Amino acid sequence: MTTKSWATGIALCASFVTAPATSYAQTPAMTPFDKLPDWSGTWAMMGGTVFDRATQTGQGGSITPGVREHPPYTAEYEKKYAEHLKLRDEDRYPDVQTNCGVPAGFPRILNLPDAYEFVVRPDVFYVIAENGGNTMRVYTDGRKLPGKEDTWGTYTGVSVGHWEGDTLVWETVGLKGDRDNDSILDRTGLVLSNESKITTRMHKINGETLEAKMVIEDSKALTKPWTVTKQFRKDKPGLFLYDYGCAENNRNPVDPATGKTHTLGSDGKLIK
Amino acid sequence: MNSVFKVSFAALAVAMGTMAVQPALAHHSSAGFSEDSRVVSGTVKEFQFRNPHSWIQVNVTDASGKVTEWSVEWGSPNQLGREGIRPSTFPTGAQVKIRLRPELTGAPIGIFVGAKMSDGKTVGKWSEE
Repeated sequence: MTTKSWATGIALCASFVTAPATSYAQTPAMTPFDKLPDWSGTWAMMGGTVFDRATQTGQGGSITPGVREHPPYTAEYEKKYAEHLKLRDEDRYPDVQTNCGVPAGFPRILNLPDAYEFVVRPDVFYVIAENGGNTMRVYTDGRKLPGKEDTWGTYTGVSVGHWEGDTLVWETVGLKGDRDNDSILDRTGLVLSNESKITTRMHKINGETLEAKMVIEDSKALTKPWTVTKQFRKDKPGLFLYDYGCAENNRNPVDPATGKTHTLGSDGKLIK
Repeated sequence: MNSVFKVSFAALAVAMGTMAVQPALAHHSSAGFSEDSRVVSGTVKEFQFRNPHSWIQVNVTDASGKVTEWSVEWGSPNQLGREGIRPSTFPTGAQVKIRLRPELTGAPIGIFVGAKMSDGKTVGKWSEE
C-alpha cells in the first residue's frame, strides 16, 4: 500500500470515529450529552392509574365503580364522561386496549402500570413504557412543531421540546382524542378531543423521583387549562424489562353488541 | 370444602394505595366481581405465566366428585416476575388453596388475591379468614 492510500484510509477512519459527535453538533439548539440530566435506569409510576388523582372522588382505582375525576370539562364532554362512567360501573366500558391493537397514546402513556425507561439524548427524548409496549418521541433537535396542515390525529401526537436546565419542556399536538372512540386517558373513561394541546414539564424532584406536570388545553373539551401531575419512582437497579405481547394470551374478548368483556377458558372457549 | 371469607376491601384499597403501581388486572371494570373473597381448594392444572395477564387454572372437586376448572386472573408476568413470582410458583399438580374475588355471574372465574400451598408457603395477600 502506498503512503497516499494509507493517509486516505486514516482520514476516512477518523471521519467515522467523529461522525456521531459531528451529527449531534449540527443543531446549536441541542443540549450536549454532558449537559443532560441522568434519568437512566427503570422507573415505575406512583399512585395507580387514576389519571388525575388530585380531583378524584370515590374510593378505589380507575375500574372501581363510583370513582371519577373532575376535569374542567365543557357540558358536552362532561356528558360524555358521565356516559362512560355509567358504562364502567356496569362493566360495559372495556379498556380500548383490550383489542390489543392500539397504542396507549399520550397522555395515557404517562399513566401506565409496569416499568418505564426515559431515554435522554441531545436530539430526542424517548418514553419507553413496558406496558403495551408503548413508545413516545419528543424531538429536542431544535425543530418546530409541524403546521396544522401537516398534522393529523394520532394516538401519541407530535412532540417537540427543549431543555431549561434540568427540566425538559415539550409541547404535544396532533392528538386524535376521542375521534374514533379508541383513545382514553384512563379506565374511568376520561377522554380529550382532537383539539387538545399539552405542554409538559418533566424534571427530577429528588434523586429517586421524576415528575411530569402536564397543562392540557382543549378548546372543545375543556373550559380552562387542566393541570395534571404524574410522578415516577426509580426502581432498584438491575431489573430486567420484558416485552409485553398483549395479544399473546388475551382471554378477555369484548362483545361488540353489549360492550361486555368476556372470559375465555384455558381451552379458548367462552366460560359460562 | 370451600370456605367463604369476607375481607375488608377498604383496608385492601389502602394497602394497594401504598404500592407504587396498581396491579394490572383485567381489561375491564371490577363491577362484575364480588367484593367478598372466597377460597377455592384444588389442584393446579396450569399456570399461564403470559401477557397481558397471568391465569392460574385450578381443578376443584366438590363433594359429589364433580370437577370444575376455575380460571383465576392475576397480573402481568413482567410485574409479577419483578416481585419474585416465577412460572414454577404454581407447579402443575400442586395442591393449593386460592383466595379470589369471584365473578358475580357464578361462573368459575375470579381475580387472584392470595394463595397457600400444601407446604404452608403463601403467595400474595393470603389470610385464613
